[in-house]
Amino acid sequence: MKKVSLLALGAGFLASLAFTPEPVLAQESTLEIVKNRGILRCQVGTPAPGFYSLSDDGKWSGFDVENCRAISAAIFGDPDKIEYQSVTSAVRFTAMANGESDVLSRTTTWTLFRDTQLGLDFTTVNFYDGQGFMVSNDLGVSSAMELAGATVCVLTGTTTELNLTDYSRTNSLDMQPVVFEDSNVRDSTFFSGGCDAVTNDKSGLASIRAKAPDQSIFTILPETISKEPLGPVVRQNDSQWNDIVMWSVFAMVNAEELGISSSNIDEIKASSTNPEVKRMLGVEGDLNKGLGLEPEWAYNIIKMVGNYGENYEEYMGAKTVMNIPRPGSVNDLWTRGGLMYSPPFR
Amino acid sequence: MTDATQSDTAFRPKPSLPPPANTVGAVGWLRKNLFGGPVDTILTVVSLYLVYLIVQFAIEYGIINAIWSADTYRECLDINRGEGACWAGIGVWFNSMMYGRYPDEEQWRVNLGGIILLLWLIPFWLPKITGKIQIGMSAVLTFPFLGAALFLGGEFGIFLHVMASVALTLFAAVWLHVATTYVFGRSLAELLVSATGFAGKDDRLHKYVLLGAFGVGFVLSLVYLGSWDLVEIPTTIWGGLFLTLVISGIGIASALPNGILLALGRRSKMPVIRVFCTAFIELFRSVPLITILFMAVTMMPLFLPVELNPPKLAMVIVAVCIFAAAYMAETVRGGLQAVNKGQYEAAQAMGLNFWKMMALIVMPQALKLMIPNIVGSFMGLMKDTTLVSIIGLYDILLMGKAAGQNPNWLGFHTEPLLFTAMFFFVLCFAMSKYSQHLERTIGGGYGRR
Repeated sequence: MKKVSLLALGAGFLASLAFTPEPVLAQESTLEIVKNRGILRCQVGTPAPGFYSLSDDGKWSGFDVENCRAISAAIFGDPDKIEYQSVTSAVRFTAMANGESDVLSRTTTWTLFRDTQLGLDFTTVNFYDGQGFMVSNDLGVSSAMELAGATVCVLTGTTTELNLTDYSRTNSLDMQPVVFEDSNVRDSTFFSGGCDAVTNDKSGLASIRAKAPDQSIFTILPETISKEPLGPVVRQNDSQWNDIVMWSVFAMVNAEELGISSSNIDEIKASSTNPEVKRMLGVEGDLNKGLGLEPEWAYNIIKMVGNYGENYEEYMGAKTVMNIPRPGSVNDLWTRGGLMYSPPFR
Repeated sequence: MTDATQSDTAFRPKPSLPPPANTVGAVGWLRKNLFGGPVDTILTVVSLYLVYLIVQFAIEYGIINAIWSADTYRECLDINRGEGACWAGIGVWFNSMMYGRYPDEEQWRVNLGGIILLLWLIPFWLPKITGKIQIGMSAVLTFPFLGAALFLGGEFGIFLHVMASVALTLFAAVWLHVATTYVFGRSLAELLVSATGFAGKDDRLHKYVLLGAFGVGFVLSLVYLGSWDLVEIPTTIWGGLFLTLVISGIGIASALPNGILLALGRRSKMPVIRVFCTAFIELFRSVPLITILFMAVTMMPLFLPVELNPPKLAMVIVAVCIFAAAYMAETVRGGLQAVNKGQYEAAQAMGLNFWKMMALIVMPQALKLMIPNIVGSFMGLMKDTTLVSIIGLYDILLMGKAAGQNPNWLGFHTEPLLFTAMFFFVLCFAMSKYSQHLERTIGGGYGRR
């Protein structure tokens, strides 16, 4: 998710040189292209647990996949008119620049450089991640500040490695990075006690813990040493398409805030007197006009894909293998102390 | 009496003593090969110990502690704490690793395609069959189209329809040919000619009979293929071993003909051709395959018109073919240089033109010399195709990796790798064995060693 692979940058630069100001596709809006094609090309990554993974019968599922499904539901009224494009992080931005993908919904950190230099626009954030540390309970450590002199397993050539060094220097902790090329090797080294701690994005730490023969002996430390806001990305200069993707995510967040879920939506649609609910579900007003979608677009998203909280619990929540509890975390609703906040539907 | 006297006085050697007990039999062999001296003995003991450790680990990991049935990796971990294999996962992911995301109910098409190709190539190994080169060429040149029609399905374009019909006709002809050879002892061509009463006529007329028969078969195939109603399966969901074989198969099949042409071009006296071929070979040989693949799938679409938008797989196959051809060209050129100048001169003295000289005199010798190198390139290419996983084609390797990222199978990564390694070993070892067989049967004069 944060590999600063030279290849990616190189390819990104080349692509941006060739294409930044006005992609060839600009004459026709992305929405028209998608509607004419009848299928949404949604880019996800190579499988990452929780966010997008492949089942043994070849189906994609995951937290980021739900964004694709939401967009498809908003446009077609069918959440499965999607061609999933799974590419490695090295080519993710070129696949957007050359028009191969309509939208990128994969753990991609929103940074100023990427937003301004690659001919792309970040729409919004659907998951706030951040780098942290995980240790074995035997170490008796409860804060990253106690990790002075510790050996830390980390993937090489990533911003993770950079953040680790920065953090260690800022706090004069003198941590010893033990670098790995392959995440599986890193994980088995950590499990067998080859390093005191392992560092990665916290969602990544959760999936490392889920692999461990005994999960209960590992603890993710509370410190978050970097900001990794993840969210869907579109090509620059197509604000209608940008809006569709952004508001598809907002619809899910807002639905949770209004207490609408896939199971009670029909009831609420029929009986609610709340004007915002009525506007959002297309009972009143014409909010859909500006997006170029049907009035039921948000209804379809919530009915077919679910609200934000439902999806979180299904793929990330405490009952899943990822086991990243939501209450009180940054990914909770703003009304409960988190950062998930949708602009009003009016 | 005299006899007895004679035999008493004549020299009679004593029977030879048996060789010392420690130089014959198992003990002797051991002494000679394994315990010849202190160094040998130490090496033997150490090696045996290493072998013991490996075998012991393999048995413990792969059999004793292995779990054969489970629904998630966690179930395996709960039983063996990760100290044994979780073969149950291979069972769950087997179809994915074989066919990628190709839908279960359509996988028979892939199997059928594989069976057709095998059947097509069987006559190659049957004795008595004539025209093996033509059989091989027909398979290599036309099977890909039949395969594409079968695997892709949907509405095929005119070109694919025609080419697939040609392929089907040739496939039928090959097996009719096998049947007539074994039943009547005559080739299909002879039988057709005599059955239509052209046997007595001028030889030059015979080809019209064959063309006519081909035409009839072609029309029948065209109609038959038109009646196919297969669900379209886009190449984006092809995967697994199937995809690996599609890419490496086409790469391998095209490498030799393209390589030969490039090698001849590079040795040509015509400057334009020579410069072009040399530049082509040097350019693509000096660049890593992964770079070519990146260029093909990410950069090419930037230069092509949007409407064209060829599927990624097609770009990848083109890239692999180019790369393989460039390498093969140098291998073939090595073979050409090994052929004595006298052979060229003799061929020219016979009055053969360039193509005949190459086809009849030079190439057979050059290729024969180069069998180990050619097969080596093929094996390298087959293994290189796993690089397509980097650009997001779900070949057997990436599919195996994807398995370990499924929430239910987190941590399941060693077993898919072992499974993939096994397939590559089987395929490459088979190629290697076949090349040794070829060297023995056609490499005669030069011997191997």
